[in-house]
Amino acid sequence: MDYLVILLVFLVFLQTRIMDLKHAVYCLAAQSGAVALSCLVIGLASGEVIHGIVPAVLTLLVKVIFIPSAVLRIIGQLKDERESVSDINTNASTVAAALFLVLGYAIVNRILPDAAGKDVIAASILMIMTGLSLMVLRKRAIMQIVGLITLENGIYLLGLLLTEGLPLVVELGVFLDVLIAVVVLVILTSRMRLSFMTTDTSIMKKLKG
Amino acid sequence: MNIDITTLLYCILGLPVLFSIIAALNIAGKNLLHWLNRIAATAVGAAVIQLVCIFDPDVPYSSEYLYLDALSMWMVIIISTLYFAFAWTSKAYLDRDTNARYGYLRRFGYLEGRFYALSHMFVLIMLMVVLVNNLGLMWVTIEATTLVSALLVAFKFTRTSLEATWKYVMVCTVGICLALLGTVIVYHLQLTDIGPEKPLDWVYLVQNRELISPVMAKFAFCFLFVGYGTKIGLAPMHAWLPDAHSEAPALTSGLLSGSLCICAIYVLMRNIVILLPAIGIDFISGLCLGFGLLTIAAAVPFVLVQRDVKRMLAYSSMENFGLMVAGLGIFIPMAVEATLLHMFNHALVKYSLFYVAGTIMEEYSTKNMMRIHGMMVQVPKTALFWLLGIVGILGMPPIGIFFSKFYIIYGFFQAEHPWMGVLALVLLAGMLMGILYHIMRMLGGKPTRKAASELIGKVDAAVIFGLLLFSAVVSAQISELPVFNHLLCNAAKIVLGGAAL
Repeated sequence: MDYLVILLVFLVFLQTRIMDLKHAVYCLAAQSGAVALSCLVIGLASGEVIHGIVPAVLTLLVKVIFIPSAVLRIIGQLKDERESVSDINTNASTVAAALFLVLGYAIVNRILPDAAGKDVIAASILMIMTGLSLMVLRKRAIMQIVGLITLENGIYLLGLLLTEGLPLVVELGVFLDVLIAVVVLVILTSRMRLSFMTTDTSIMKKLKG
Repeated sequence: MNIDITTLLYCILGLPVLFSIIAALNIAGKNLLHWLNRIAATAVGAAVIQLVCIFDPDVPYSSEYLYLDALSMWMVIIISTLYFAFAWTSKAYLDRDTNARYGYLRRFGYLEGRFYALSHMFVLIMLMVVLVNNLGLMWVTIEATTLVSALLVAFKFTRTSLEATWKYVMVCTVGICLALLGTVIVYHLQLTDIGPEKPLDWVYLVQNRELISPVMAKFAFCFLFVGYGTKIGLAPMHAWLPDAHSEAPALTSGLLSGSLCICAIYVLMRNIVILLPAIGIDFISGLCLGFGLLTIAAAVPFVLVQRDVKRMLAYSSMENFGLMVAGLGIFIPMAVEATLLHMFNHALVKYSLFYVAGTIMEEYSTKNMMRIHGMMVQVPKTALFWLLGIVGILGMPPIGIFFSKFYIIYGFFQAEHPWMGVLALVLLAGMLMGILYHIMRMLGGKPTRKAASELIGKVDAAVIFGLLLFSAVVSAQISELPVFNHLLCNAAKIVLGGAAL
């Protein structure tokens, strides 16, 4: 489990530095894979085999295979495949991620001083906050989707650790929602490409006041 | 006729699904589609009437996944009324869009089916929000409403609607993800303090709510409040609301404003009931009052400088949601009853207003209020409904909102928050002046355009009149209508924590 947490933290930090859209999606897929693995580990440790395997398999199918391939398909149709930010922005988001990690440990020590998987909780808080910062700081639609899935993964991991998984029906519903959300976002992105000739969301600022 | 509640509920949930499948497959002709749509909604409406007749508010119904008590019954009434109104106004609205000269849909015949399928799914998911018994499933369905309605908001895929939808999906999904975090923490609390049986079951949690420990409960509530507050459109998180409401097709705006946001308030209420003893009334009431009044305050300046007619209505919706949340935060029976009544009135009046606004946009082919003058002369029928609806939404007597707003404000003074009451009154007065200024400019004056023809037909006029009348009659005569009165009292009791178990 410790190795998985290290891997996750590494992947999240990597995510803040990647500017190429394709690589960002690969990184996201790897991150979701790590979440699926930890899902399996936690599920098997708790003893209930079905409740451990089903969410892990679903994570694998939805977040590692379906979502990245859908997003990659859209990227294939784009011409400018890079996020358009300067180095300062990247460094800022990496430093922010580091701060989030410290914050995560601080929060865990304050609220749950005797919880079992402190590191996992800190990692999931890191993922939640980094996902949020990616959504705010990045301008490309694809990068914002990546941020959203990172955020979702973080919440999922936290839920997994705090409760050993939500009830199965709810879990299925959550997966369905993530799936539909990505489909909707991909539809919107491709429409954006047709209407604006780019997926840079910062040019959409007509609606104000 | 003796049909039991289970059959009726399956009927209510099944018919929209059936219709959306037919509409999505595009096997029916256009006229047949319009009629099937009306039949589906009317049948659901009839089923709801039957349900109201046989349902005893003191005895909640529950099955494995469904739960129906007075509060959900009240919400079902609101949603199905709007559903009915939607079905009977949609033909008139879509006919304008299929107009051979300029209509958007004239080249894409199949889009009508898609619009119907999405809209009916949207209503169905909102009905599911208020009928499921499980906090987790409530979260799932709320998120699903965002996604379905996103496709409706972006229905015409214009540049501005894309922008609005992108903002809507991004902001709401992040907000709702925070609510998921809150729900996860509630489940954690259930596991540590109550026990693993019946995970996240609302009734079970309410029965054992005294056992929940306070520290984490506060955390959970903050996440839930921010999350569902985003969906309601409370002030710092409201960025998506005016955009989505103004760019969506008028019928969708009506549904979004009328029923979607109050579904989020409903889920927030359910969560508050559970966390109430652990957190204490002061914290919850403070948050609700503060954010509610902030929302009203944030909406007022934007109304004053507004030029877009639907954006103005969107900000007026924000004002009303702020008032509802503040009314919830007062936490005395009268104010909560008034809040629930306000949800009902606001839904009905706002739906008709959005419909009329859509009509005005078609008649004058502009959204800009500064370019519309002399409606009284040119389009008297539209002008009449527009004036009636606006008078209603501002809280003037003939329409029901007067009563609900009045009782919410009265609640402020009863619950010893007099200064907040005064503040709310001042803000509402600002709202009234802003909106009336724009409306009077639109209605009066000399017409500047020659060609503006009346587009309100017979059916939609009847529906809008019916909505306004229904709202007025229910609010003014609530003590004379035992069914509604009983339902409303019980619903308020549930919100205040004395769930009928």
